[in-house]
Amino acid sequence: MDLSLTDEQKVRKQEFDDTCKELEKKKPPSFVGFETIYEVDECWEYNLYCAKEFAKKGWLALGWPPEYAGKGDMMDRVLFAEARGYYGIPGVDIFGVQMLAPTLLQAASEEIKREFLPPIARGEVMWCELWSEPNAGSDLASLSTTAIKKGDEYIINGQKTWNTGAHKADWGFGVFKTDPTARKHHNITFLLHDMKTPGITVRPIPYLDGHAPYAEVYFDDVHVPAKNIVGQEHEGWAVVNLLAGFERSGINEIMSMIRGLEQLVTFCNETKRHGQLLAKNPLVRNRLAELACELEAARALAYRVADLQNRNEMSLMDASAGKIFFSELGERFAFLATDILGPYGQVKTSRWAPLDGLWEKMFHEHFITTVSMGTNEIQRNIIAWYGLGLPRMR
Amino acid sequence: MDLRFTETQEILKKMARDFLTTECPKTLVRKLEQSEEGYSPELWKKMAELGWMGLIIPEEYGGMGYTFQDLVVLLEEIGRNILPGPLIATIANTFPILEAGTEEQKKELLPKIAQGELIFTTALLEGDGVFDASGIAVKATPKGDDFIINGTKLFVEMAHVANYILCVTRTKDGTSPEKGITLFIVDSTTPGISCEVMPTTAADKLCEVRFKDVNVPKKNMLGKIDEGWPIVEMLLRKGAIAKCAESIGAIETCVEMTVAYSKERVQYERPIGAFQALQHIMADMWTAMETSRYLVYEAAWMESEGLPCAKEASMAKAYVNEVYKNLSKWAVRVHGAIATSADHDIPLYYRRSKAADIAFGGTDFHREIVAQKIGLV
Repeated sequence: MDLSLTDEQKVRKQEFDDTCKELEKKKPPSFVGFETIYEVDECWEYNLYCAKEFAKKGWLALGWPPEYAGKGDMMDRVLFAEARGYYGIPGVDIFGVQMLAPTLLQAASEEIKREFLPPIARGEVMWCELWSEPNAGSDLASLSTTAIKKGDEYIINGQKTWNTGAHKADWGFGVFKTDPTARKHHNITFLLHDMKTPGITVRPIPYLDGHAPYAEVYFDDVHVPAKNIVGQEHEGWAVVNLLAGFERSGINEIMSMIRGLEQLVTFCNETKRHGQLLAKNPLVRNRLAELACELEAARALAYRVADLQNRNEMSLMDASAGKIFFSELGERFAFLATDILGPYGQVKTSRWAPLDGLWEKMFHEHFITTVSMGTNEIQRNIIAWYGLGLPRMR
Repeated sequence: MDLRFTETQEILKKMARDFLTTECPKTLVRKLEQSEEGYSPELWKKMAELGWMGLIIPEEYGGMGYTFQDLVVLLEEIGRNILPGPLIATIANTFPILEAGTEEQKKELLPKIAQGELIFTTALLEGDGVFDASGIAVKATPKGDDFIINGTKLFVEMAHVANYILCVTRTKDGTSPEKGITLFIVDSTTPGISCEVMPTTAADKLCEVRFKDVNVPKKNMLGKIDEGWPIVEMLLRKGAIAKCAESIGAIETCVEMTVAYSKERVQYERPIGAFQALQHIMADMWTAMETSRYLVYEAAWMESEGLPCAKEASMAKAYVNEVYKNLSKWAVRVHGAIATSADHDIPLYYRRSKAADIAFGGTDFHREIVAQKIGLV
């Protein structure tokens, strides 16, 4: 067991930290949590600005092979995610940089890699994911949006939903039914398409707090070049599983919560209730300490996932466990923080809101991690079926 | 960063697992619970031959010179088999001797511990039952070249078979509870010491130890007079990580046994493990195990590297305490009625989860340390 960083890693960590700390100074006041990049125009602009800054340093291609202008290794990606999480800096496209790029590197043709990787690395093209449909959520493979091949094109018809950032994205990657007669899991193809293609209609969906981080996307005879395929035709399900493996270890979210805890501790050290500092209240101390323990446990497990991924080893069970744990910790944290803030915990960003209204925002936002990227219940199935070898539901 | 065990650690793990599987079956665990001694002197001798008591004692004092994180690997295996006896108590006492003992004390005691010739325990808690210095009232009063100890200690693990008791005493009423604490290495055969085993959840032989005018030579003082509390803190910190490692082994076994049983037990014409209501409980058990494991490894690594880790050690202990109790509770519930029977192995773990929780500081004690370390004023 060795959790130490090499001297070289320490230097790069410092560079990541310094850069993010600088970028934090330029954060618009309306930026509260990562999802606001999709909700507020000036936050989206800030996201694009940060992406360009990171691209200049080559940090959007961390861990890529050198032939695609890659730089550094997987461990750099972890250290970079830590810095961004802690300072709350966007600019790394979850869909393009974190999910699609590693998938393309493993599953796409040379032509596709050459065409799509460089714009991602330059921070020029922002992506969205088009998977869920109104009748295909956790049971994604039962999707019904079709892409029928005609000559050198696919013609897409149907509807996708819960597409985070689809109303902002330049390009989308989606899964579509290409062979309506074939059996489930062998009838789906993974395609890339320009969001400006005629026939695509994007309608933002208001989230439960009234903002719109996601959208529904309608396809009406949308023509997509047949070459924009990743993996084999009709075998997109394999690509879906591959991409799901590149989902976040949670480092980003965990570091963001660590910063949140630090700020909450400062608040408790400075704020009096019942004539004494909140920090002196034994119940507050105990509950914050309990949360701090869980947060450290989440971080330790995220390192475990990163350590496995660094060695290209499978981390299916640990990745699922980590996702369940950090996302549900996010729920508990939002409840605890808003409890401690009392009546102020319900105030949105304004002059009455403590800590910039972050916790009011988090009271809504935690569902984004528990429900998306495979609900936590699906993650529990993964652990039970594939990890513990328990009989599968039929 | 590399979270895998080293080759040495893998060898140690395998050796310990093979040895304990043969030498410490559950029949022995049950027998020892019922016995007066609570440990097997024969098994103790065999473990000494393997070098376990001296695993982290430097070679110059007759030990094996392994690291603290190597110890964690061994203790996980101890926890899997819930080996009864004074192993952790004895090993925990080598920490203060190594860090605060005089050269004479080290030379006198450490080789004998490493040889398995001495059983050591710590007398810390008293009537208040708290782990902080405010609970220390047992007095040590200077008299010529000796100190005279008077008072009663409680929850002293295996004191009835210990050769030495590290006794935490009050030598002065200071400005704060932490001032005026002095530690003494007390020969358990000294006149005036009496001992009685308390009946406990885990049948782990916690004792009441009464000191009545017990003479202890000044040379048996560990560390400086009135300045013993930081040594206790260090012992609690390292002991907490060690206890966590033992708990991880126990937790792992509870998960394995529960999953295996759920695949065998058939109800409604299918193994109960096919029911999602139970699958998700077991997935949560597994998740709790993994989060605990890597939190403990992090603390153990820091301790091993000599990095300040009071925060991480307390985080690990506070967290694992709760996981072990809850997870072993679910192990009983997934098994159903069968695991409520005294003949079943799962209750052995469940009962020990309470003992593990208390040893080296309960959850709230450690959470308060965490509260301070995260900066709450």
